[in-house]
Amino acid sequence: MTDARDFERRIAALTERMVTARGGHALDRRHFLLTGGGTIGAALLAACGSPGPKRAQRLLDYAERKNESVERVLFRHTSMDVAGKNARNAGTAFPAYFIAPTVPIWDASQGPWALEVSGMVATPMRFSLADLQRLPAVTQRINHYCVEGWSAIASWTGVRLRDLAAVVRPAPGARYVDFQSFDDDYHESWDIESATHPQTMIAYGMDGAFLGAAHGGPARLYSPVKLGYKNTKYLTKVVFLPTRNGGYWSDQGYEWYGGI
Amino acid sequence: MPMTTSGEPAAAATAAATAGATATPTLGPPHIERNRHAPIVRVTHWVAVVAILVMAASGLRIFNAYPAFHRKGETFCCYPFEGRAIPNWLTFGGWLGGARHWHFAMMWVLVVNGLVYVGYVYLHGAWRDLVPRRGDIRDVTQMIRFYLFIRRDHPLQGKYNALQKGAYFAMPWIGALIVLSGIAIWKPVELAPLTALFGGYVWARYWHFMGMVALLGLAAGHVFMVFAVDPYVLPSMITGRYNERFAPERRNGRPFYHLLPRWAQPTEPTAVDAPPAVPGGPQ
Repeated sequence: MTDARDFERRIAALTERMVTARGGHALDRRHFLLTGGGTIGAALLAACGSPGPKRAQRLLDYAERKNESVERVLFRHTSMDVAGKNARNAGTAFPAYFIAPTVPIWDASQGPWALEVSGMVATPMRFSLADLQRLPAVTQRINHYCVEGWSAIASWTGVRLRDLAAVVRPAPGARYVDFQSFDDDYHESWDIESATHPQTMIAYGMDGAFLGAAHGGPARLYSPVKLGYKNTKYLTKVVFLPTRNGGYWSDQGYEWYGGI
Repeated sequence: MPMTTSGEPAAAATAAATAGATATPTLGPPHIERNRHAPIVRVTHWVAVVAILVMAASGLRIFNAYPAFHRKGETFCCYPFEGRAIPNWLTFGGWLGGARHWHFAMMWVLVVNGLVYVGYVYLHGAWRDLVPRRGDIRDVTQMIRFYLFIRRDHPLQGKYNALQKGAYFAMPWIGALIVLSGIAIWKPVELAPLTALFGGYVWARYWHFMGMVALLGLAAGHVFMVFAVDPYVLPSMITGRYNERFAPERRNGRPFYHLLPRWAQPTEPTAVDAPPAVPGGPQ
């Protein structure tokens, strides 16, 4: 083939230049490496630290929808999280996050705190903390999985959401549940399957004490089957809905499903 | 050291004898290979390059949200840079959520591409060039001796030398470790037994990270050797075409040395170029 001959001719010319030029071949070799490495390096650097091309966003959204359906297929009410026996509870190292600039504390001038359960339910109800405590209580020592990558163990005490649902009797069309809080406009909506997982609960106790203001008191949503940001703290309302209602972090671009 | 300007290396026969107990590779007549790498291998190679780079860089951005391994309230034994973030310019995705979207989208490309490659290599029989064999340890020492200038001529070890075989064989296995540990930290509750297999969530995260370090380490060594020893293979991974005349065995290619074919390599200064030895002159 002519291009093979051409290739060899060019190589010969190149080597001719390298051999004849005094000290030239060392420079050319370096030049070759610098050009090759430099081109690849420049292409990589251009991408570094960037969020990636804008046009990819639609593909990423598509992938997220597909991932959600895969996650829903993997989801089982029988899959349980159990904290390792040799692992220590986080205790005071358990991170306390909230949206408001200061620790949100229930404003007692609005009356005593109560949890409103409403939406597509047969009997909308309000539960005081004492009402919640009268429902069957569970205590489970489980992992907290944060979207950031850390995990923390605590013992949580509360009432299973499925037990609460049994009281208010949601309609069959209630496929989603919105969990709202008094921490600014924080809320996160869930699929009903995850909300009724046996480990999903309205927690009012943590590590044997009543839930403090730093961790979402008087009561919060707690479950190991969703990433931490899906677990609404400072809970005020549980609303059963026919459609999903986004969420504080989901609306900012984190995955809505956020399943584990 | 005088160089032959053409033909077989002086010690070809010896080299061939030491190359392997089963196969005895020899240097055939130089020719142009049209299909050194099958089209599927070429495509999956470059898809893997993009996928691995995006996965590693977006993974580092995710890691930076919590650049440590310890569970809250505990310490971690085995990572010296606990709490120290990766430089931002090494990351991709812009922010935690963005990096997660890239990571969870590109993971499918990485996995499907990897399965296509491994499936092809298995069905086609190309794995025979890669699978470790008895004698590989000796071949590795021969290659290292050659690169350290202890051995004079490039060993003849077939399509891939023992160092290459080790690296290319290890990569899919490390890739499997990364994918499985990645699934383990993606679904530590739904797939709890898998996570337990890695020693729990904290350790699965660690193996996921260390697998990435190992894979990028091998890839960096691979890229270095391509540019420093055998840049002529670069076109062969694009077009499949490889000019056998430029094989490292024919050039005695060592890192940064002998990038040229033997016949074009500059020879040692001859007696004519050397300053004449004048008796009684300065020595």
